[in-house]
Amino acid sequence: MVQSSSSPGSYIYTSTRLRVRKSKLLTPAEYHRMLNMGLSEITRFIGETEYQKEVEELGTSFSGVDLIELALSWNLAKEYQRVIDMAPGTLKQFTKTYLERWDIYNVLTILRGKIQGLSEGKIKEVLIPAGSLNKMVLDRLLAEESCERVIDGLKNWHLEPVLQSHAAAAISSGSFSQMENDLYKKFYADLLKVEEQGVTGADQFIKFVKLEIDTLNTKTIFRMQADAVSKASRDLFIPGASFTLDELEQISGLSDQVEIIDALSARIRNEPLLIALEELREKKTTLNEINIKLTKAHLEQMERLSRIHPFSIHSVLVYLEKKKYEVANLRALARGKESQLPGDVIEQYLVI
Amino acid sequence: MTEVEVAEITAMGMKSIGAALAVGLTGIASGIGEMSIGAAAVGAVAEKKDMFGLALIFTVLPETIVIFGLVVALLILFS
Repeated sequence: MVQSSSSPGSYIYTSTRLRVRKSKLLTPAEYHRMLNMGLSEITRFIGETEYQKEVEELGTSFSGVDLIELALSWNLAKEYQRVIDMAPGTLKQFTKTYLERWDIYNVLTILRGKIQGLSEGKIKEVLIPAGSLNKMVLDRLLAEESCERVIDGLKNWHLEPVLQSHAAAAISSGSFSQMENDLYKKFYADLLKVEEQGVTGADQFIKFVKLEIDTLNTKTIFRMQADAVSKASRDLFIPGASFTLDELEQISGLSDQVEIIDALSARIRNEPLLIALEELREKKTTLNEINIKLTKAHLEQMERLSRIHPFSIHSVLVYLEKKKYEVANLRALARGKESQLPGDVIEQYLVI
Repeated sequence: MTEVEVAEITAMGMKSIGAALAVGLTGIASGIGEMSIGAAAVGAVAEKKDMFGLALIFTVLPETIVIFGLVVALLILFS
């Protein structure tokens, strides 16, 4: 981990810039307007916002939902790179570390695409080159013929041993879920190691990582309950935050949603998440609604942290997370409209 | 030089030092204040050009401290 010192001014500069950029993200009112638009109107609307450059660049080669998908992916990757370039000192290092999750997403997308025989171009459309594996590396991986060769091409990647350990089983079964779980577990374990390195501001970064682990574990518990997974599997949980693996296994073994909420609320100190859990106690909701509610609570807590520590990594991370959900929302909107789903159905999938 | 003259010169010297401290220290204080506000202002203007006027006003607000320092220095010197 690089330790570099920067003046307080550069932290304030970056935090303020990202705060202003966050204020430029689409508002709920704009999403509601888009819900009443057709696909071409949405494309035009997006083309008048922060995505203008990408929509104009790609407009000649693509159209419809493909244009939106690609413009969103390009914009997201470009935005992430800009934030890395802008961030000073340790903020840059934390931002890079945070963005390494996109490496896992990209590698798994390539592997899944390859095993399903999708074309290079089709896979490339959904890649977000925002992590340590840049566009060139991803292009090289895309050009490989088989999953084995893709994994072999990642010799220098720090998560490669995890890939290798699951490669044979995943390729023969065609399912990468176990590999995905272990990659993310290793990723979060590495993130938590930042604390041991004694870097300035690491305590705030760890707060975010633990918050995210708690949210992910909570989502997993509700997903297991909704899918009536009888065997409590500790393999599905990420250790290192508010709950130990034993506790998570015990909670996931509970069959009643109210009991689960009681067990989670007893330990969680994060107010938005507690409020979300209380709301879930009061009415019966679908798994998707639970997911959206928990995601909103997660973003709300991040927002709070960024207000409490205005010039820390939180102001960078909250922007990056909100930007990620904006892109996911627009993608859901475009795909929903293409499938001619009614506006109220699409709205249920939006994090607004 | 008589003792009275020495005392007068010393008093004048002390007054000058007091006035210099009043201006100098308030200058440093407003510099510290403007550092944070200026960095935030430049960050905000870099993203939203129309915030320039507002950002400029906020940036120069700590200048009032120097004006107070200057007033105090003038009062010391000419009272």
